[in-house]
Amino acid sequence: MTSLIPMLTLLIFLPLCGSLLVFALRRSDAAVRGVALAFSLAELALCLWPLALSGEKATGAPAGFFLYQDAAWIERFGIRYTLGMDGISLVMTILTAFITLIAVLSAWQVKERAGLFFALLLALQAAVQGLFLSLDLFLFYLFWEAMLIPMLLLIGVWGSGRPVYSTIKFFIYTFVGSLLMLLAIIALYLMHGAQSGSYTFALPELVRTNIPYDIGLWLFAAFLLSFAIKFPLFPLHTWQPDAYCDAPVAGTLMLGSLLSKTAAYGLIRIAFPLFPEASRALTPLIFVVAVLGIGYFAWIAFAQRDMKRMLAYSSVSHMGFVALGIAAWSPVAVSGALLQMVNHAVTTGALFIVVGMLEQRAESRDLSSYGGTWGKIPVFSFFFLLFNMASAGVPGLNNFVSELIILVGTFRVAPLAAAIAFLGTILTLVYTVRLVQEVLFGKEKQPLELKDLSLREAGVLAVMALVVVGLGVHPGPVLELFRMPLEVLLKP
Amino acid sequence: MTLQDLYTIMPILITAGAALFVLLCGPVLLSASLTAIGVTASAAAGVWAALSIPTSTQAVAGLAFTPLARFLIPLFCFAAALTLLLSHSYNERRGIKGEEFPATVLFALFALCVLPCATNMLILFLALESVSFAFYILVSMDLNRAESGEAGLKYLLLGAVAAAFTAFGFALLFTGSGTLQLSGALARPDNRAIISAGWGVILVGIAFKLSLVPGHLWTPDVYQGAPAPVSAFLSTSSKVAAAALLLMLLALSPPMPELRVPLAALSVLSMVLGNLAALMQQNIKRMLAYSSVAHMGYLTLALLSGSRDGYAAVLLYGAIYTAMNLAAFGAIASLSVDQERELLTDYAGLGFAAPLRGGVLALAMISLAGIPPAAGFIGKFFIFYSAIKGGAISLAIIGILSAAASAYFYLRVVAQLYMHRSEAPAPQPVSLAEGLALCCASVVILVIGVYPGPLLDAIEAVLH
Repeated sequence: MTSLIPMLTLLIFLPLCGSLLVFALRRSDAAVRGVALAFSLAELALCLWPLALSGEKATGAPAGFFLYQDAAWIERFGIRYTLGMDGISLVMTILTAFITLIAVLSAWQVKERAGLFFALLLALQAAVQGLFLSLDLFLFYLFWEAMLIPMLLLIGVWGSGRPVYSTIKFFIYTFVGSLLMLLAIIALYLMHGAQSGSYTFALPELVRTNIPYDIGLWLFAAFLLSFAIKFPLFPLHTWQPDAYCDAPVAGTLMLGSLLSKTAAYGLIRIAFPLFPEASRALTPLIFVVAVLGIGYFAWIAFAQRDMKRMLAYSSVSHMGFVALGIAAWSPVAVSGALLQMVNHAVTTGALFIVVGMLEQRAESRDLSSYGGTWGKIPVFSFFFLLFNMASAGVPGLNNFVSELIILVGTFRVAPLAAAIAFLGTILTLVYTVRLVQEVLFGKEKQPLELKDLSLREAGVLAVMALVVVGLGVHPGPVLELFRMPLEVLLKP
Repeated sequence: MTLQDLYTIMPILITAGAALFVLLCGPVLLSASLTAIGVTASAAAGVWAALSIPTSTQAVAGLAFTPLARFLIPLFCFAAALTLLLSHSYNERRGIKGEEFPATVLFALFALCVLPCATNMLILFLALESVSFAFYILVSMDLNRAESGEAGLKYLLLGAVAAAFTAFGFALLFTGSGTLQLSGALARPDNRAIISAGWGVILVGIAFKLSLVPGHLWTPDVYQGAPAPVSAFLSTSSKVAAAALLLMLLALSPPMPELRVPLAALSVLSMVLGNLAALMQQNIKRMLAYSSVAHMGYLTLALLSGSRDGYAAVLLYGAIYTAMNLAAFGAIASLSVDQERELLTDYAGLGFAAPLRGGVLALAMISLAGIPPAAGFIGKFFIFYSAIKGGAISLAIIGILSAAASAYFYLRVVAQLYMHRSEAPAPQPVSLAEGLALCCASVVILVIGVYPGPLLDAIEAVLH
């Protein structure tokens, strides 16, 4: 059954077809929105379907993969169109489909050139899905780069503030990193070919390459640099606050919730397994930047008066936990990191949306403009509080679970790093409490006419709140999906 | 000469015949029909060459339909046909009249078709100089603009010096080996000193033709002064022809370790200075000129490896570069009103005001920057692959970092097209011929970018 329908190809090309269709219909705003919504819903349904298959093994696939597809592509270089889905990819594709759906809904009011906007959103989704499914390093790189152009335009055309500056800064940073990664990929390919006689970019093959330690260090550094820029890790983050702030809400959502996850995914799927020795040698460095990031960015977030900027720093601060879990490279810590990727995407994404809604109502992102919204717009304020509590790590909500798993997993490997990171969570509490206090409670600082949530807005937030609570109380099934693939990835 | 021989040199005969026909019958025919004749002849020559089987036997003294010719002639014909399509309405807007424009394009194409067929240094030199000669005329074709004439003069004066160097180099090779036959002259290792000297002098000439630093100084002025369709043709076909000449000479020679250092120096200087200079340009044609300097630096990087992979990368990049630059200059030509839009800021908002041409220009920029899924990425990948395989790792790192910096100036154009408001006069609607040419170039860019397999196979066949 599964072999008859090229599921994985469909996952990539369905949004791409949607993108082209939306662009063709760009004259009518209503049609554009309807088609974009329909395609993103269909994509989500399509992503959920393989849940039934997990646990099986596809024919010809490497261990752990239950859907697999392989075809010759550029034979001159042994480049193949190889896609595979294991538990990790499955969760990431579902996350991508979910976040894109939310992005489409939250961009409902985009009026200017809506056709192009939604077309780019769906094209970006196709690239991200492809990236999460690629098992050929060349294909992975292609999708990695293909994400750039839609993102560049989403920020540059529909952004606010200094969009052109921000978007070009974002682009140059990521582009420098990825080109160095390209050189490393080529070097690895040649080395593997010279050793085994078969020139291939297939990830399961390349893992077996015997890489001399000093060369491995350079190659791993190139991969790490590329992923650390998109992550972003301290001190390569300087593009991030600008890009997050100046992007439209849906763009920030894609950037903060999905693109940063592609970098974490790259570290887990590619960089660490390919270079076990080099990654172990550089682990202390990653611990340092991760821990530094958690604390430092939380501290900077506290100093912000612009809410979106505060969230941008909060977002990188939370991503520090993901880096921490990956650096520990134990099954518990990495599964925590993967869960944190999902939780971060949902929680931070939801926070960007609520702040976007507030900005849309009062045309200000400054903390000083607000106060006492609890009494005026209770439904909004409820969601605002809930997502902030999740972000602060209140037990029973999603971030608590994954951050705890990461800390526990890391503590066994690097107690000091885990202890300092734990202190960082206190700083998170500080800025979150201040945000909640200033916006929701206290006296109204300026007289504002605020309207409570519309049905669409409330629906979007309610769905996200369900996920936040659901993953908080019952994360077991998701963690179970990670178990098998991690056994394969982390085997010594 | 047998009938078979006639078949093999048919592309050359078609283009020469069409050029003469257009020149002789031009005064009594409509200018649209002249363009149509030129495009048809180019297409016919290209298709003929693509469908013929290459042989090593000489059809006439000094000419054989080599595998390289089978690859390059269709490429040159593609470029010439697109140039003719693009120039028709451009010339009407600009008041460039007469049959001499299409005729000269066809003469240039004729010489371009001869070049890869040459088996003899004399023919090779004559072909190269005929190409340049046709371009001297084309560059200064716009009589209403002083810059055009100035550019032509500049190109002619420097070109003459370069031609003298190249001729002197060939003479030294002849002295060293005693034969004009390419296969004989280059395969002989005796008289090493004279042959090395000959190579050195030829490199000076080729560095000028390829606009490698420091032989690049004419490039920005000429690209800026020439009519945009001519810049399109000049920046693609003349460059590919010069690279092909270098490739033919290198492929037939025994390994020449003494060439490695000069080639490496030319390559690094061109990549770094070309991209740095392009960063500072406000004029789009000058920016593209410096970008072309950098791209020729990448090409030289691939040549440097001296391996089959390197030569394959050169041919692939030549083909991709042709499509990219035709698209870029084609969009510039088509977006011009009574004046060309020179400054980058003249392109503000055109991505929405003129969706097709803005889109094509943006695609060309993305491809030049080497971002997938555009073909430029595949080209860059192959170049850096062959460089690393050839052991030139430090050069590859310098090259890739300069390529990363280059993304900035290409993206500035994209940013102008889509992220700034327009105040410039609205462009005229796109004409059928221009639309056709731009679509052709874009389709080639996208198809090669996504599925380069067949093209790579064709290149393998050339090098076999």
